[in-house]
Amino acid sequence: MHAPYPPPMTVFRVWDVPTRAYHWLQAGLVAGALFTGYLAPAWWLGVHVWVGYGLIALIVFRLVWGLVGSHYSRLSSFLYGRRAIVEHMRGLAAGRAAHAVGHTPLGSLMVFALVATIAAICLTGLFVLGGVENQGPLAAFAGFSSGWLARRIHALLSAGLLLLIGLHLLGVFGESWLGREPLVRSMLTGKKPVAADRIAPDLARPRHLAGGLMTAVIVFAAAMTGAYASRFTPSGLIAMPVLKAYQRECSACHEAYHPSLLPRASWARLMAHLDNHFGEDASLDLATTAKIAAYLKNYASQAWDTEAANRLRAVDPAHPGQITASPGWLRIHHRIDPAVFKSKKVRVRSNCQACHRDALSGRFDDQMIAIPKS
Amino acid sequence: MPITPLKPALVFAAGVVVATAGLAAANTARDAILKTYEHQAGVASFSAAAGKALFQGHHTGGKAATPSCTTCHTKNPRVMGQTRAGKPIKPMAVSHNPNRFTDPHKVEKWFRRNCHTVLGRACTAKEKGEIITYLSSI
Repeated sequence: MHAPYPPPMTVFRVWDVPTRAYHWLQAGLVAGALFTGYLAPAWWLGVHVWVGYGLIALIVFRLVWGLVGSHYSRLSSFLYGRRAIVEHMRGLAAGRAAHAVGHTPLGSLMVFALVATIAAICLTGLFVLGGVENQGPLAAFAGFSSGWLARRIHALLSAGLLLLIGLHLLGVFGESWLGREPLVRSMLTGKKPVAADRIAPDLARPRHLAGGLMTAVIVFAAAMTGAYASRFTPSGLIAMPVLKAYQRECSACHEAYHPSLLPRASWARLMAHLDNHFGEDASLDLATTAKIAAYLKNYASQAWDTEAANRLRAVDPAHPGQITASPGWLRIHHRIDPAVFKSKKVRVRSNCQACHRDALSGRFDDQMIAIPKS
Repeated sequence: MPITPLKPALVFAAGVVVATAGLAAANTARDAILKTYEHQAGVASFSAAAGKALFQGHHTGGKAATPSCTTCHTKNPRVMGQTRAGKPIKPMAVSHNPNRFTDPHKVEKWFRRNCHTVLGRACTAKEKGEIITYLSSI
């Protein structure tokens, strides 16, 4: 007698609080990462990195919660076989929504794709930070070349993430419209109207204490390991003594450029022609010249694996002694407004210190850039 | 015992003594350098007006970017100058920088370099003496 009627609808709390908090925190942090990565100036690197650490912690939590969370938060509840996925796609092609209680088959694919991509972006980000910037837990272990490769992958994956986010939104709104389901609201309130007979008969109960403890232990162990690893000397930097003669003589007219900013051949050429040094006589007595030339030969760019040494390694053949003429320098600075270089506090392009507060150390950290307001 | 009121006075007195001694030493050192140039040039004294003309003048023998001392030191030697690389140069006028022309090696080094850069030749002892006299007089 009641057979032809659809089963009664009930408002079911499908997403627990931790899962919803995870979802929106992750959305916020990803937005922050995209903003600081694509739009914010370079000196926001510190914020970008901490957003990344936050995302790693969130993903750790989500994996733990995927094992001990409430029923529809568990990974086992949304691992679909190929058949279910194909069926879902056929349904969508015919204009039918999936009406899953938890994640739909395609929705679950999107969950895994998004989380895997974010995790891979965080991992490659650590390599960029360690290899290129000589900062963070991998500073002592990743060289510039691996960091530079990681930078490419980091950028590619980030573009891929933007695409996935677009598809995710399309999927959510498409499925909401097709199935007349308030999917966005259910991720806010946790509640979703579902047919009572579709709810799993024996719902796995959330284990809050276990989830919290496991997440805390893993995140704490990872943070401690990272903090310990960060204490090793960065692989790109070598110990360099201070040569007083270099500091005194070469900082009389300009800053004492870090020796890593030019290759040996360029330094040798400059030291051999001090009587015509960029249009001025900067000659020194023979003993001092020899002492400084030997120092520069020892600590020229060939001796370093820093970002500055690597990116300025190739010089302009027409001006091999001019740091600001190298193709690398020009590429790095091409978006800086020329007015900045003419401003009162900068005056000339060779005034590295005007914007790079750590220029004398040769580090050139992104966070240490401060372009003076004119 | 309350001896504190004495202390600032003592520190001030010591400061005055040290500053005076320092200035006297600087003047002695500068006089010695001038004496050397007088001896080399075979003259009894230098003309500050000739030094001013040389310092403020426009020259053609040297490098194109630096036709005058004032290119970097500015027309007013009492204020800070700036190198072509953007670094500040302390005032050249002794009245505003009492340590000027007190280290003979430094004086010789910069005359060698800058005369070559601005004039395209070495300066004579007479020219060096005139410039120091001019910059000591203002």
